Amino acid sequence: MKTAFGVLLILTLAAAPAAAVLGEYESSVSLDQQYLRGEDRVTTNQGYKLHQITSPNGAVVSEYVSPEGKVFAVSWRAPFIPNLQQLLGSYTAQVQQATQAQTRRRGGPLVVRTSDFVFVNGGHMGSFHGSAYVPSLLPKNVSPEVVR
Amino acid sequence: MTLKISSLTPLVRFLGVVAGLIVVASCGGGSSSVTTTTPPPTVNNSVDIAVNLGPSGDYADGLFTSVQVCAPGSTTNCVTVPYVLVDTGSSGLRLLSGALGSLSLPAVTDTSGNDVQECVQFISLAYIWGPVAQADIHLSGETASSAAIHIISESPQYAAPSSCLTLGTNGAVDYNSQSALGANGILGVGNLPTDCTSSCTSVGNCTTPCTSAANGIPYYYSCPNGDCQITSVPLSGVVPNPVALFSQDNNGVLISLPTIPAGGQATASGSLIFGIGTQSNNALGSAQIYATSAGEYFTTTYNGVSYSNSFIDSGSNALYFLDYATLGINDCADAPGFYCPGSTLSYNVTNSGINGTSGSVSFNIENADNLFNTGFAAFNDLGGDSGTSPATDYFDFGIPFFFGRNVFTGIEGKTAPNGVSAPNGYWAY
Repeated sequence: MKTAFGVLLILTLAAAPAAAVLGEYESSVSLDQQYLRGEDRVTTNQGYKLHQITSPNGAVVSEYVSPEGKVFAVSWRAPFIPNLQQLLGSYTAQVQQATQAQTRRRGGPLVVRTSDFVFVNGGHMGSFHGSAYVPSLLPKNVSPEVVR
Repeated sequence: MTLKISSLTPLVRFLGVVAGLIVVASCGGGSSSVTTTTPPPTVNNSVDIAVNLGPSGDYADGLFTSVQVCAPGSTTNCVTVPYVLVDTGSSGLRLLSGALGSLSLPAVTDTSGNDVQECVQFISLAYIWGPVAQADIHLSGETASSAAIHIISESPQYAAPSSCLTLGTNGAVDYNSQSALGANGILGVGNLPTDCTSSCTSVGNCTTPCTSAANGIPYYYSCPNGDCQITSVPLSGVVPNPVALFSQDNNGVLISLPTIPAGGQATASGSLIFGIGTQSNNALGSAQIYATSAGEYFTTTYNGVSYSNSFIDSGSNALYFLDYATLGINDCADAPGFYCPGSTLSYNVTNSGINGTSGSVSFNIENADNLFNTGFAAFNDLGGDSGTSPATDYFDFGIPFFFGRNVFTGIEGKTAPNGVSAPNGYWAY
């Protein structure tokens, strides 16, 4: 039993620093890359930088970085739903609240719109996609429409 | 002319087979295998379905049926489970452990001989979790023998693994109960032949990444030391769309629901018919085929904007489309997440498949708070948002779309009717 607890604790500690991406600095992207075991392709666009991490299991995670070095948006497209707690960090709680509130929506997408957090998860079995962004962190002259 | 030729084709094929047999018969000295020309026996291929409030009494636009499952090979060790959600947006039969009563089913094991557990995520971010077992699935006269089914465990033997809990261990919402699921199970009769089919390169040649743990797909797990890890499952242990296992009528399903009035109706009943173009009751008729893209999507165009992640799904309980800002509609006060316009709104959109077909669809959206206040279960004008702007929006044609239509869901990797190329499956209506 002691061994089992020890292993659990180590896993938790190892996972903790990585659980902060959206709204954090760009350095957290590399933690995501480790977690996803994917190849990170970086492109520079008008007003922002885009990390696109492609995993062997078919997941593609995109992380949008402002000139100030902060991750202002993330998006995903995968045969399963990736670990959103990992990608959303402190914004996870707002998504958790929404899953409890929209009880009459059945089999439909999850959409969250608050004053400073926008989240969508959609698709269907075998083909999921979604995105999230923080409006106050959007770089100047960058439209949220680039997040997809 | 084209129609005449295509209607002659089966006859020509039949004559060809007969001619071939005559040759065989003359070579083999009279005892030919005549059975090859006999069409498969016509079986009852239709089960009753109903839109009602479900076992929890609060499900709007939920489509339910009953499913009989038996221990493999048994005709007596069986349970009939009512209120199973009919879902063309997923594949595989999933039943609550409590709905199986005392029925004991053999476990499906991984390639190391350990019992297999499965975790399935919903786009609402809820999940279901429990063991995979083998059962004979009976739907009307059709049988899926020794099929892998997913048991949604109301008291799980193992904790769900973190790789499946997208919102983390503490924030995860599970649907492992009748009250949370709003049903006793899910009958997934969608486009995919299994719940882990990634692509079909040609008809009948589909890949199933869950057969190798190395692919890292977080669906199938084994827990030999109590710690559940992604595992390799033999193809026979991957949960199939039961329809794909039927010995006939196995290329898809037809859902037929009646027209209902604006503002709803207490309940509605119809038929789930197995096979497409295989019997007199499942002919395509005037329905047009919309072949899907990889990932089972088609394109819906509204106001000149194309939404390429759109789909038809009997497991969605509303028309989930566009967003509040784009449409200028308010969220509902009592039922957040649904559209509550001041008066009925009408929409006209165009759907198009990758096979080049397109056609328009008209529907209305009514104030959802008013609809829910009726206490009815069946609505053709219930809507909600799918995104927050055109960048993320799409059209999810849920149950309201099915009323007054015959909607066909064609399985990927099976031959589509009329020579249509649909390598990823199709819808027809």
